[in-house]
Amino acid sequence: MTDATSASAPASQPPRIGSILHESDRTKRRNAAERRFRLYGVIAISIGMLFLAALLFAIVRNGIPAFTQTYMTLQVELPADVLDENGNRDPEDLRKVSTFGYNPLIAAALERTVSEAGIETEITDGSDLRDMLSSAAGAQLRDTVLANPDVIGTTQEFRLLASSRVDGYMKGRVDRESLARDPNLSPEHLDVVDGLVDAGAINRSFNWPFITGSDASESRPEQAGMGVAILGSFFMMLVVLVLSLPIGVAASIYLEEFAPQNKFTDFIEVNISNLAAVPSIVFGILGLAVFIQFAHLPQSAPLVGGLTLTLMTLPTIVISTRASLKAVPPSIRDAALGVGASKMQSVFHHVLPLAMPGILTGTIIGLAQALGETAPLLLIGMVGYIATNYPDGVASGFLDPNSAMPAQIFEWAKRADPAYYERAWGGIIILLVFLLTMNLIAILLRRRFERRW
Amino acid sequence: MYDVPNSERTVTATDTKIAAKGVQVYYGDTHAIKDVDVQIADKTVTAFIGPSGCGKSTFLRCLNRMNDTIDICRVEGDIHIDGEDIYDKRVDPVQLRAKVGMVFQKPNPFPKSIYDNVAYGPRIHGMARNKAELDDIVESALRRAALWNEAKDRLQAPGTGLSGGQQQRLCIARAVATEPEILLMDEPCSALDPIATAQVEELIDELRQNYAVVIVTHSMQQAARVSQKTAFFHLGNLVEYDDTNKIFTNPTDKRTESYITGRIG
Repeated sequence: MTDATSASAPASQPPRIGSILHESDRTKRRNAAERRFRLYGVIAISIGMLFLAALLFAIVRNGIPAFTQTYMTLQVELPADVLDENGNRDPEDLRKVSTFGYNPLIAAALERTVSEAGIETEITDGSDLRDMLSSAAGAQLRDTVLANPDVIGTTQEFRLLASSRVDGYMKGRVDRESLARDPNLSPEHLDVVDGLVDAGAINRSFNWPFITGSDASESRPEQAGMGVAILGSFFMMLVVLVLSLPIGVAASIYLEEFAPQNKFTDFIEVNISNLAAVPSIVFGILGLAVFIQFAHLPQSAPLVGGLTLTLMTLPTIVISTRASLKAVPPSIRDAALGVGASKMQSVFHHVLPLAMPGILTGTIIGLAQALGETAPLLLIGMVGYIATNYPDGVASGFLDPNSAMPAQIFEWAKRADPAYYERAWGGIIILLVFLLTMNLIAILLRRRFERRW
Repeated sequence: MYDVPNSERTVTATDTKIAAKGVQVYYGDTHAIKDVDVQIADKTVTAFIGPSGCGKSTFLRCLNRMNDTIDICRVEGDIHIDGEDIYDKRVDPVQLRAKVGMVFQKPNPFPKSIYDNVAYGPRIHGMARNKAELDDIVESALRRAALWNEAKDRLQAPGTGLSGGQQQRLCIARAVATEPEILLMDEPCSALDPIATAQVEELIDELRQNYAVVIVTHSMQQAARVSQKTAFFHLGNLVEYDDTNKIFTNPTDKRTESYITGRIG
């Protein structure tokens, strides 16, 4: 007996029961479970990051080209006998020359430029060369002449929009193979383009008109811009902010601080929470029924869009405001009441300032949500409207038909031309810049107000 | 039983400031205060003692109608201050609370400067006509709360940046700044260390010169040290109410004796 025990003891040193130097089986299992869980977490985060990276990559890659635009610099002769037959520079007469009247001038300028650059090509006809330029080029000339009739009879330098195919070629979207099946431009044109690039007549520059400009018809993607839609979104957000912030905050303060706790307020509370989860298209059809069909507000107007989005944003603001009011410690309310402040004084002097960062964050998040919302706009006619005109003023900004940024993006994505597809991605970048800016403002405001202890 | 200097025991004034009669408090279905009668004298420190949940804080909060803020709380019976029923329909609780100041268990300064903390009450009650008067009120309140010397150089510093004991004295300064007639203190020292406690107790003793002070405390030593009158609450009943001296040396009721000797509670 004694032999057996003394022999086995030094051989394997079995752990003493209850020793903390050895992991028990239970502990081993527990630690393994924890390690597994951490691994799942890391995997989940990695997958999320991967998707985010893919999304950002796709957006940047597809959208960045929209921010540059190809222009052709041409010396265009503006002969008086074509543009002003009577020779008296009467604006009425000048206006009679339509944009088509300017096309021969452009064609002539092109022919001259091509031959001066020494480019050998089978395309000799100027009106054929004209395909390299946007159909908006004539309007560009006409606008210049109408604005300043003195240029008639001189030769002026113009930077004219290249057509979307030439633009696409410059960006690598279009090549000779794809043009073989394209009626808009032939591969021979590209030889001319190459020559003009060498001659310095074609170049690319930053596309401000894409940010500030208006939408264009389906055949002129090179001219389309977001500007008017941005204004539409701006006026909509103004309506949403002016309505939903005071209504939302007042409702939350009343519900949180003043309203008696009873079945009715419980009912309201449940409804607000449910409203936040209602699909946005439902708010859209509500807006259509109430604001357009019943109240006869104008269709496609940012005012109606703003009202509809207000309905959608209110629950978000109410919920976040109530949460931040709840987070203010009750001892502050007691303190204020204890020195003889009224309920309202305690709320407005003490509770509200402390809840402010949360309220502002909630409001801006709500606004950002509304800014990116497309579905309700479908139903009130802000999608599909071609926003070619800038509003004339503030009233017209609210009441005239307009589009909004996400609606404009949807509209472009719908159109067949691949140049519009590129614009849609570019539009998404603009929209994201706005959203990021709003979130940044939310963070800054929160910091700013929280600093005060 | 507790060593208390006898000179402290003399009750300076015998005018009744608060008279409560047949007070019942219900929280929903719970009967929290059962038929309490008590007469609280002016210029006296009255201590409410008793085990947790015995209703002493609840009763204290009846005296300035802080219980109004709790929806399910219902108060019956009469509480008169200077002969006026504070639960009369014509009484505005906000006006009442300006007259009956309160200091809470946990120091709860506003997240504002020391100056603004003290000046808040006088401002909302329109007690100062100009900045100079307000400055005077703030200074005198801070002096009465024995905080002036520590705070005078940093009146614009945040009140929440003070130490726990200083914060509680700031809350006392805030309460006395509105010139109340009665000061209610709900366990004012429970969150403080012994040194801060001693400072606050000293302060309470000085405040007695001008106010009727009612203090709820868990510490029997504290009750013995600062109060002239003591009320012992147990399970919502006012068991015994007498001179502090008498309660701690020769209690009438068996339950009081058990509590102060540590057998119950």
